[in-house]
Amino acid sequence: MRNFLFFILLVLSHGLTTAQGYSDHAKQTARLQALAKSNPQLAKLRSLVKTAGGKDVWQLTIGTGKVDEKPAIVVVGGVEGNHILGTELAIGFAESVLSGSGTDSIKSLLARTTFYVFPNMSPDATEQYFASLKYERQSNTVATDDDRDGKVNEDGFDDLDGNGKITWMRVESPIGEYRPHPDDPRVMVKADLSKGEKGRYLIFSEGRDNDKDGQFNEDGEGGVNFNKNFTYKHPSFTPGSGEMPVSELENRAMVDYLFERSSVFAILSFGSNNNLSTPISFNPLAVNQTIITGWLEPDTKVNAMVSDLYNKTTGYKDAPKAGPAGGDFFSWGYYHYSRYSFSTPGWWVPKTKPDSTKNEKAFTLDDAGANFLRWAGQQSIPDVFVDWKTIDHPDFPGQKVEVGGIVPYAINTPPYKLVPDIVKKNTMFVLKMADLQPQIDLANIKTEKLTNGLTRITVDVMNKGTIASHSKLGERSYWVKKVNVKLNTTGNQSVVSGKKNQGLNSLEGYSSQTLTWLVKGEGKVTIEAGSPTTGTKTIDVTL
Amino acid sequence: MKREVLLQEPKPLMLHSNQETMKHIINFLVFITLTISALAQNADQLFKAAGSPVNPKVAVSWNRYNDHAGITEILRKIEKAYPGLAKLQSIGKSYKGRDIWCITITDFAKGDPDKKPGMYIDGNIHSNEVQGAEFSLYTAWYLTESFADTKFIQQLLADKVFYIVPTINPDGRDSYFHEPNTASSPRSGVIPIDNDRDGAVDEDGYDDLDGDNEILIMRRKNPNGRYRLDPADPRRMVVVGVDEKGDYEMLGLEGKDNDGDGMVNEDGYTFQYDPNRDWGWGWQPNYIQNGAYKYPFSLPETRAVMEFVMKHPNIAAAQSYHNAGGMILRGPGDPTDQVTYNAADIRVYDAIGKKGEELIPGYRYLVVHKDLYPAYGGELDWFYGGRGVYTYSNELWTPYQFFNKEATRDAQDNSSFTFDRWLLFKDAFVDWHEFDHPQYGKIEIGGFKKNFGRAHPGFLLESDAHRNMSFTIYHGYHTPKLNIDTIMEKDLGNGLKQVTAVVSNSRLMPTHSSQDLKFKIERPDIISLSGVKVVAGMVVDNADLNISTEQKNDPANIQVANIPGLGAVTVRWIMQGSGKYTVTVESRKGGNIVR
Repeated sequence: MRNFLFFILLVLSHGLTTAQGYSDHAKQTARLQALAKSNPQLAKLRSLVKTAGGKDVWQLTIGTGKVDEKPAIVVVGGVEGNHILGTELAIGFAESVLSGSGTDSIKSLLARTTFYVFPNMSPDATEQYFASLKYERQSNTVATDDDRDGKVNEDGFDDLDGNGKITWMRVESPIGEYRPHPDDPRVMVKADLSKGEKGRYLIFSEGRDNDKDGQFNEDGEGGVNFNKNFTYKHPSFTPGSGEMPVSELENRAMVDYLFERSSVFAILSFGSNNNLSTPISFNPLAVNQTIITGWLEPDTKVNAMVSDLYNKTTGYKDAPKAGPAGGDFFSWGYYHYSRYSFSTPGWWVPKTKPDSTKNEKAFTLDDAGANFLRWAGQQSIPDVFVDWKTIDHPDFPGQKVEVGGIVPYAINTPPYKLVPDIVKKNTMFVLKMADLQPQIDLANIKTEKLTNGLTRITVDVMNKGTIASHSKLGERSYWVKKVNVKLNTTGNQSVVSGKKNQGLNSLEGYSSQTLTWLVKGEGKVTIEAGSPTTGTKTIDVTL
Repeated sequence: MKREVLLQEPKPLMLHSNQETMKHIINFLVFITLTISALAQNADQLFKAAGSPVNPKVAVSWNRYNDHAGITEILRKIEKAYPGLAKLQSIGKSYKGRDIWCITITDFAKGDPDKKPGMYIDGNIHSNEVQGAEFSLYTAWYLTESFADTKFIQQLLADKVFYIVPTINPDGRDSYFHEPNTASSPRSGVIPIDNDRDGAVDEDGYDDLDGDNEILIMRRKNPNGRYRLDPADPRRMVVVGVDEKGDYEMLGLEGKDNDGDGMVNEDGYTFQYDPNRDWGWGWQPNYIQNGAYKYPFSLPETRAVMEFVMKHPNIAAAQSYHNAGGMILRGPGDPTDQVTYNAADIRVYDAIGKKGEELIPGYRYLVVHKDLYPAYGGELDWFYGGRGVYTYSNELWTPYQFFNKEATRDAQDNSSFTFDRWLLFKDAFVDWHEFDHPQYGKIEIGGFKKNFGRAHPGFLLESDAHRNMSFTIYHGYHTPKLNIDTIMEKDLGNGLKQVTAVVSNSRLMPTHSSQDLKFKIERPDIISLSGVKVVAGMVVDNADLNISTEQKNDPANIQVANIPGLGAVTVRWIMQGSGKYTVTVESRKGGNIVR
């Protein structure tokens, strides 16, 4: 085990791509095609579906032999179109694993585990990062009437200061809710009226009220958000949710693909949701209703163990708080697909310590924006803030309007030079999680000869892995297979007591169940046990 | 004479002796005469019965069922006979490639059909709930055949459009008829599923042990059993008293343990999934809602219906036929979804539902989650919750219809046996007969056939089809009908004139249901003034007290959120100059009118 990990570390330090920046869709395609081409025995690339915008949603399967029959982990990026790092992590993971494919450790990993990698589920939205007009976008290209006024795409962003970025507008107003951050006046924070604070500004995203309906930029280009289009708590009739759950080509293709693969036992998606820094805690009220809204207790235990592994492997702390909004992929993965579903942003801005040499003092008010600006300053990262500048705004005649704010993508997208280390940490975690996968075994086989050609066979059906054979919730779903145990007889053998064919429910990690049969006859019988998520073990027993 | 015989080709004439030839000629002529007279009676011989087409162009027997090929043929005949009233299209293909037919019935000469308020009707989403297709076909047939004679139908088809989809589960329908089944199977479609999660698919379903295309009941003589024969009708099994010994045990539905796992009939083609849990409002996965598939509209048949509905936003009312129980159902199916049905809409539902109880004696107007059971992701939930369409599901057939008095479908209720004995001459029951079972030994198999208990017996089919059709016509009739009641002009001086228009809706349904208004499912109605320069526009909230709300943007085209049922809205423009002007109303579900 230690040798294996040592090899991995070596491999990860040397074998990475030499890309100089984040990859747009063309570059993502090139990298994935190169991987498939140079690893034909281990990697298969296919286009899951073409989006309405004409972009391929790529899917890379990494594994050996009968890949669809081995316990599998799904790795997903581009879950949110403004989370550029996610795609980089997914492709980086694939590149790391395949560059080490010559080593024994990777060979034995891929002999027993399959990885289904989906690098980018929002290939149209992520292109906005590379466009001449940058704004954080999560929506695909389907034209939607986001404000449901009968018109489509009639009021999008406008680049009022012509700098190629959509930031914010602040309008001085006696009824404004926002005020400057006490420690960093560049940042706008909401005034706390209960504490007697007074606001001075109204805040809008940069643009004009093009359709004169009193709202700003409420219906621009696009689109449906991949991460708002799933069935669990679908936020119906809200911007970006789609006219019904799983309406979009990319969502349908993914759900169809995943339901056909009963070997998947866990999903890791990169995005704003996070149950790895802090695991989901068991809430008895949430699981005691018809429509459950919490994880079942045994599943929270697995989450706790995997979360522990993540924190130890990455060393990350102070994760920003995130709660799933409805229709998201992470929640769907557990509540509707009934698998272990894990999510992490992969990286976040660390909590800064004030630099006394720069006369920085501790923050009196916690704010992600202020923390980010301080960190960017300490790291000497340029161009993260557009200074507030007054403009003439036709929708606010006679009022003071300024455009400025933190540059789009800056908070969630680390400078590229940090990426190789981030890829290394997250890849390491996935490989260690694979080590925990459920694994079936048949142990303590006993045969007792009774009189008149009768043999009693006793065997322990064991899960040697750390993670259960499938989630507890999976016991209720017909998409998740039981551990099946078959006693196969030949010729004139017959089973006198015990079931020839039986299914066992979820076998917890490091646990076993004892089964026994009485068989009449001579010769050999075979016992076969397993499920798609545990693999199969077969033994011969002589009567 | 059976029809099949008539349609056989006569033997070709051959060269024989003169006598033989004469014989052949005479036989042939007799044959032709009989054929003609049997196929179409002389119109002079017929006298119209009230309310029924006397000499229909399309001859259909309404006392029997049709499989998918049969339905296709009837629809094609209707379209061919009435090209100005009926158009047939396929709205998609089933899992096995059968066309899902929609016949559009309207007066195509009057107005754009897809802009008229639409009534959508379908049937047979559950494979075994077959008569909804016959009732839908009857509706298309009756409307077209009665159009020439009946003023009400002429006006109805000028105003409204009917989209009729007789079966939305054609694979399941044919499987029900042509494969061995009970009255309750299959409920689902035909995509194979591993229901018992053992990795094998459909490895142990029902077994038609005696090969009669029916899945009946198995019983076995057992002195420790809890059943005995009913002395009044020995076909019927009754439970013995609490302290009595019985003669028989009931072993369940016809079948055996095919895969040696100790369970009988646990994973067959008849229990795959439930297509009526595949819709996009309040959808829940299969561990919460038994029978759910992958996600809403993951089945090709329901997806085809969804795509059709999304392309036809003029659909304002809908009916989806099921069986059985004699019910007129509205949602919600999800007990936590009652917020979706608010008081204003419930009033509309109640008015139409109660009318249904009048028109169809024995049927009751009920609410799914409260009077039936919780059901998530059903068709009527999506039609109303997802698209704001007033929708009912009628559960066709009730044992009330045996003798026009209360009865149940309970196995212990003997009205089924009495009805079968005296009115069907025991045609609906397969008498108990012996069988040697591989696991159970000497047993007896018997029971009611699959065409009895949920499906109408032949002689009651047309009558109930007509009553349910009448209910759907009343339902469709009450989709909005808009009228520009008055246009009044007032001179304001300075070259300005004020034009006020009152637009009324003379039917029960508003142009936007409350669910539609709550989520802005459909866009607002637009009332426009054209032909003149419009300076300002407003919605008049109260004409008497002169309270109005101005629409600053695009005043010529006033957006009105809703035109209430049996209500009106008033809009007003200020125009400059003079000239001929036109008032137009464009409403997705209310239709378009001009004055």
